[in-house]
Amino acid sequence: MSYFNIIYIFAFLPVVIILYNIIPKKLRPVLLLIASYLFFFYISGKLIIFLILSSLSIYFSALLMKKIDKVKEEKITDLESEEKRVVKEKYKRLKRTVLVVTILFNLSFLFFFKYLNFFGSIVNGILDILKINYSFKLIKLLAPIGISFYTLQAISYLVDVYNGKVEASDSLLKVLLYLSFFPIIMEGPITRFSSVCDSLLKGEKTTYNSICLGYQRILFGMFKKFVIADRLNIFVKLTFGNYRSYSSLVLALGAIFYTILLYMEFSGTMDVVIGSAEIFNIKLEENFKAPFFSKNISEFWSRWHISLGLWLKNYIFYPVSMSKFVKKITAWFRKLFGSRVATQVMGSMALFAVWSLNGLWHGAGWTFVVFGYYHLILILLGNIFEPTVIKVCKKLKINRDNKFYKFLRIIKTCCLVVIGELIFRAPSLSVAFGMLGKIFTKFSLKGFSSEVLSLGLDVCDFLVVILGVVVVFVVSLLNEKGKNVRERISQKNIFVRWAFYYALILGIILLGAYGPGYAPVDPIYADF
Amino acid sequence: MRKVLKCGLFFVILFLIINVISYFLLFDKNVEKFGLYKIANYSILSENKNSIDAVVIGDSLIYSSVSPMEIWHNYGYSVYDCASAAQLLKDSYDNLKVALENQDLKVVFLEANVLYRNPKNKSWYFKVYNFFSNSFPIFRYHNNWKELFLNNVDDLNNSGVYKGFKYVTKVKPAKNRNYMKVSLKKQDIPSANVMYFEKIVKLCEENNVKLVLISTPSMKNWSYSKHMGAKDLAEDNNVSFIDLNLGNVLNINWNKETKDNGDHLNYNGAVKVSNYIGEYLKGLNIVTDHRNDSYYSSWNDNYIIYSNGLK
Repeated sequence: MSYFNIIYIFAFLPVVIILYNIIPKKLRPVLLLIASYLFFFYISGKLIIFLILSSLSIYFSALLMKKIDKVKEEKITDLESEEKRVVKEKYKRLKRTVLVVTILFNLSFLFFFKYLNFFGSIVNGILDILKINYSFKLIKLLAPIGISFYTLQAISYLVDVYNGKVEASDSLLKVLLYLSFFPIIMEGPITRFSSVCDSLLKGEKTTYNSICLGYQRILFGMFKKFVIADRLNIFVKLTFGNYRSYSSLVLALGAIFYTILLYMEFSGTMDVVIGSAEIFNIKLEENFKAPFFSKNISEFWSRWHISLGLWLKNYIFYPVSMSKFVKKITAWFRKLFGSRVATQVMGSMALFAVWSLNGLWHGAGWTFVVFGYYHLILILLGNIFEPTVIKVCKKLKINRDNKFYKFLRIIKTCCLVVIGELIFRAPSLSVAFGMLGKIFTKFSLKGFSSEVLSLGLDVCDFLVVILGVVVVFVVSLLNEKGKNVRERISQKNIFVRWAFYYALILGIILLGAYGPGYAPVDPIYADF
Repeated sequence: MRKVLKCGLFFVILFLIINVISYFLLFDKNVEKFGLYKIANYSILSENKNSIDAVVIGDSLIYSSVSPMEIWHNYGYSVYDCASAAQLLKDSYDNLKVALENQDLKVVFLEANVLYRNPKNKSWYFKVYNFFSNSFPIFRYHNNWKELFLNNVDDLNNSGVYKGFKYVTKVKPAKNRNYMKVSLKKQDIPSANVMYFEKIVKLCEENNVKLVLISTPSMKNWSYSKHMGAKDLAEDNNVSFIDLNLGNVLNINWNKETKDNGDHLNYNGAVKVSNYIGEYLKGLNIVTDHRNDSYYSSWNDNYIIYSNGLK
C-alpha cells in the first residue's frame, strides 16, 4: 500500500479519523500507534520485528544514558574539581559507549538489508582480481519499509539525548510512535523527536477545518502524482530503458522529464504525508521549498529533501568538522597556507563525509555513489570559485542582484540538477555515461518531433504535462513570494472554494494518467 | 450538524457532476442500445457486434490468468475476460447471457473455481467493491476527453485495452507444496451452483457455443478433491474439462509467476495460460485469425497501447 493507494486515502485514513474522534483523548495516541503498526505490517509483514527492536533499543538506551547522567551528578556533588573532571570523563565514556553500541545495533539492520549485497559484490570483485577462489553468496533480501528513514530518526533521537538537547522519554508509547507514525514511516520527512513528540501524544480532536485542509493538501499531492509523474513515467521508462535507440535531444528530454517526475512524485507524496498528519493536528516540517528556484547546488539541497539535508548537517557535517582528526589537519593547513584555505579544507572534509553518505543512503549502487560525489564536486567548486566570480562580476560591473543574472543562475542550477538526476535514474554507470556522452556529442534535430511522439505520450499528454507543471509552478512561485495559496483559498467564499476543490478532483479523475497505456510510478523514495 | 450537511451537499454535487461528465464523455457506439450503467457493468457490450470469438468467464483467477491481448498478438483470436472478484456462478450465467446479446460466440471458458463459491458466503467487501466500481464509469472512460479534444469521437473503442484482464507484474513467491496431492475425497458442489451450471450448459447448447470448464493455476484455491468434483460434473453434462493445475502442465514457477503467494498468477504466469488457451482454440479449428481483418483494426491499435504499458 502506497500513500497514493485508494485504500489508504479513502478507507484506511477515514477509518482512523473516525475511530480517533470517537475514543477518549487518552487513547488517541494508542490508536495512532496501532494504526501505524497495522500499516507497517500490511506492507512489510513479519519484518515489523526490526522496527520494534529499533524502537526498544533507542528507548532503553536513552533511559540508560539518563540514568548515567543522574548517577554522575550524584557522584560529583562533593568532589574536588580535579576528581570531578575524572569522574565526569569516566561517565561520559560510559554514556558514549551506550550511544555507539545502540547506533551500531540500529545500523547493523540497515547494513544487513540494504548494503550487504552491495559490499558483498565489491568483496567478490576484489577476491576475483586477487584470483582467490572464493565468493560470498549474495542473497536477495526484502527490507522493512522505510528502514532508511526510521533508522536516521532513531540515531537523531539517541544523539540528541546524548548531547542533552532532548530529555530521554519515560514514555515507551511516545518513542514507539515517534519511529512508526504511519504518515512518515515510508518516505519521511525525517523528523526530530523534539519537533513532533508533543503533538503526537496530544490527541487533539480532528476538526472540520483540519480534515478539509488535510484532504486539500492530499488532493494536491494526488494531482502532482497522477496527472504529471505517472504521465511522464512511460516516456522516462523507454528512454532510460534503451538509450541507444534514441537521439540526443530525446535523451535530454528524458532526463528533464525524470527530474520533473521525481519532484512531482516525491513532493506529491510529501503533500499526502503532511496532509495526513495535519488532519490529526500534527504539524510536520516541509520537505521541499521550491527547489527549482535555487541559484546554486548548495541552495538546491537546502530546498530539496530538506529533512535529509538537515539530518546530514546536524549529525554528520558538524560532528566531522568538530572532530579531533579534522581539527588537527585544519591546524596544519592553517600554518602552511593560511586560514582561508584551512577553512575550505575543514569544510571539504566534512562535505566529503556528508556526500558519501548521501549517495549511499539513496541506494546501494555505484550510480548513487557517483550521484553523491557529483554534487560534492559541484559544491566544492562553487565554494572555491565564488570569491573569484564575485570579483569578476565587480570588475565587469555586473549586478549580481539583477533579475536576469539570477534567472541565468537558476537555469544553470537546473541543468546541473538534471545531469545529477540522470546519473541517479540510470540503471548503471555505463548507461549514465553513455547517455551523457550521446547528449553532449551527438546533437541533432532530425526527426525530433516524430520521435518524441512515438514514446507513449501524445499531443494531449504533453499539453496536460505543461498545464500541470504551470499549475505547480504558479503555486510554488506564490509560496516563494510569501503568499500562502492555501490560506488565500480558505479565505474565499464557499462558491470559489468549492469550485476550486471540484476542479482539483475532476482534474485528477479526468487528466490522471491511469488505466490502459500508462504505467504508474512506484513510490521512489520508499525504496531508500 | 450544519457542517455534516455541508459535507453531504458537497459530495452530492460532486456525484452529480461526475455523472453528467460520464454521459458527456461516453461516446460508446453501443451506449444508446444498452445504456451507460449496463455498459459499465458489462464492458463486453462496448465491443463491435459479433466481433468476439470466445469469452472466459469467472472470478479473479480469470482476470489474473488470461490476457486476451497476448492471445490476439500470438494467434489473432478475439477473446474477452468476463470476470469479477469473487464472482458467483449466478453472475457467470448473467455475464454469459449479456455477452450473447451482442456477440456470436464460438467458445465459452468457465472457471471451475466458481463452482465451489457458496452464494450464501459472498463477502460484503466484494459487494461494496462491485457497487462502487460499477457506479462510477468515469474511471474507465476518463481518457476519452482526448478524443473529444482532438475531435476523434468516431475512433473510440471503450471496451478497454486489456479486455477484462488485470495486468500485475508483482512477484510474491508461494511456499513450495504439493497442493494437487492425489486423494480419494471429492469436494461437493453446492446444489444451487449445480443448477446454474446446467443452465449455462443449456444456454450454450441453444446458442451453439462450445462450453469448456477450465481450472487455471492457483495453489491456494484448487485441490485434487475439487478437481474430482468438477470432473464428475463436467462428465455428467458432457462438457470438456481442462485442469491446468493437474501435473503443473504449464510448468508454472511458483517462485516467480504468482503475485500473492500462489493465490493468483502474475503477468508472467498469465502469458503461459493465455498461450495455452490460444493453442487450444487453434486446435478446435472453429475460430479464425483476424489480425489482418479491417473489422478488427482497433484490436491491433489496442495491442500497441497494451505493449507500451508492459513493464
